[in-house]
Amino acid sequence: MRTYEEINEKIKRGDVVVMTAEEVIKVVESQGLESATKEVDVVTTGTFGAMCSSGAFLNFGHSEPPIKMQKVWLNDVPAYTGLAAVDAYIGATELKENGDLDYGGAHVIEELIAGKPVHLRATAYGTDCYPRRSIDTYISLKTINQAYLFNPRNAYQNYAVATNSSDTTLFTYMGKLLPNYGNATYSSSGQLSPLLKDPCCRTIGIGSRIFIGGAKGFVAWEGTQYNTAVPTRNGVPTRAARTLAVIGDMKEMSTEFVRALYFHRYGVSLAVGIGVPIPILDSEVMKYASLSDKELFAPVLDYSLQSRSRNPLKEVSYAELRSGFIELYGKKVKTSSLSSYYKARIIAEKLKTMIEEGEFLLTRPVHGLPSERAFKPLDIRSKEEV
Amino acid sequence: MTLVKKKFLLSFTPSIVNEPITYKMVKEFDLMVNILRAEVSERGGRLLIEVDGKPSQVSKGVGFLKSAGVEVKELNEYVNRDEDRCTHCGACLSICPADAFEIDGMSWKVSFKAAKCIACGLCIDTCPPRAMKLRIW
Repeated sequence: MRTYEEINEKIKRGDVVVMTAEEVIKVVESQGLESATKEVDVVTTGTFGAMCSSGAFLNFGHSEPPIKMQKVWLNDVPAYTGLAAVDAYIGATELKENGDLDYGGAHVIEELIAGKPVHLRATAYGTDCYPRRSIDTYISLKTINQAYLFNPRNAYQNYAVATNSSDTTLFTYMGKLLPNYGNATYSSSGQLSPLLKDPCCRTIGIGSRIFIGGAKGFVAWEGTQYNTAVPTRNGVPTRAARTLAVIGDMKEMSTEFVRALYFHRYGVSLAVGIGVPIPILDSEVMKYASLSDKELFAPVLDYSLQSRSRNPLKEVSYAELRSGFIELYGKKVKTSSLSSYYKARIIAEKLKTMIEEGEFLLTRPVHGLPSERAFKPLDIRSKEEV
Repeated sequence: MTLVKKKFLLSFTPSIVNEPITYKMVKEFDLMVNILRAEVSERGGRLLIEVDGKPSQVSKGVGFLKSAGVEVKELNEYVNRDEDRCTHCGACLSICPADAFEIDGMSWKVSFKAAKCIACGLCIDTCPPRAMKLRIW
């Protein structure tokens, strides 16, 4: 009933109707699905949470005499430079060498985006074309060439709710988990979450223009651990399922939407703000885009079981999670979100404004994401078994 | 008469660490004391207490502590939040035993109510963007 081209024409004319994924819930409730589908052209989503699988490609430019960097450190955090002479990739979770465990690649990325100077050290073995053996200098986002986030796995479609049945406190990537089901943590913006609102990725694919860290970026590929073999409720996965690999220019980003995190006794991570616009192509797209927290469910997992296969204790809705408590075995258990709903909403609203003001056009994916993909485990195998 | 609730940080020199000074204060001035933190080291002892009682009795109690050689500091802020670093995720909400963090169901902003804080410090290492800082110890 509506095409990408028609939507973009409306954006250019300035009469596009955009609503956030939160606003549209009420419109569908009051007007009905068909009428809301006719009225609304685009629904915007947002999420802001820890996304460990993130990092940045940097090109430092060439020194005089030139160097083919073999080892690189940024503020004493090692970056990977097994690429061409002055290219490096700094991973968000890489930790500072010989220092505190609460500083890592994510902090370097945040400081670069903040415009701060970053200490660059590199060593090399020296070649005829790259004679220099070491360099010690400062860089900033202004002095270097390309700097872009290329995050292999962001915006998880859904994620576990973590709790702890044991009698000791656990420190995990899901935060501090108190003993004896003392609390439960979750990490999704639920009814605002990009992939929960387009569960089969009908409109989100390779080449989709998105909001990332304050910049306009793109979906680059399927994210790592992309998984379609999961149970669903209301047509939406109730387990960690699809993911996105995303790309965006750090020079356009803001620390308001990219933030270094440290999980005590676990490690460093990066909070990334992502917003995806969903073009309301027809009423089926609208049906999913307007699902509310009451209709979206996540599995509660016991993180004291140190195994990759943990059966959920139960499924809970995001409405329950957001109420501040869930019930486990007859006990009221306090909940904490690790992703910021406050920021998720700011992102969805910002994206809405950008589209309304003609600054952000929608793109038809150049290729869809996989409709079927299993998530394989790693087992200890012999050469013959592989 | 209305009761007041105040928090004090008491510092004891090594020479008076063994004396039941706090007990005497509770007994003599009819105060309700909740011990929030306690620590004894080679430098002496430190006690963070919350005192509940009539305003006149609280000030008399404090006078008694001072006369017994205890250094008394009233605390209004023990834990504070770096507003720039806070992302309003809410990781602190399920950890704080005093319910000093509240999330507004409309704006989804997390607020920190310093008055409710009992300075346990549990939020410090819970906060992923490291926005919470403990000031006293």
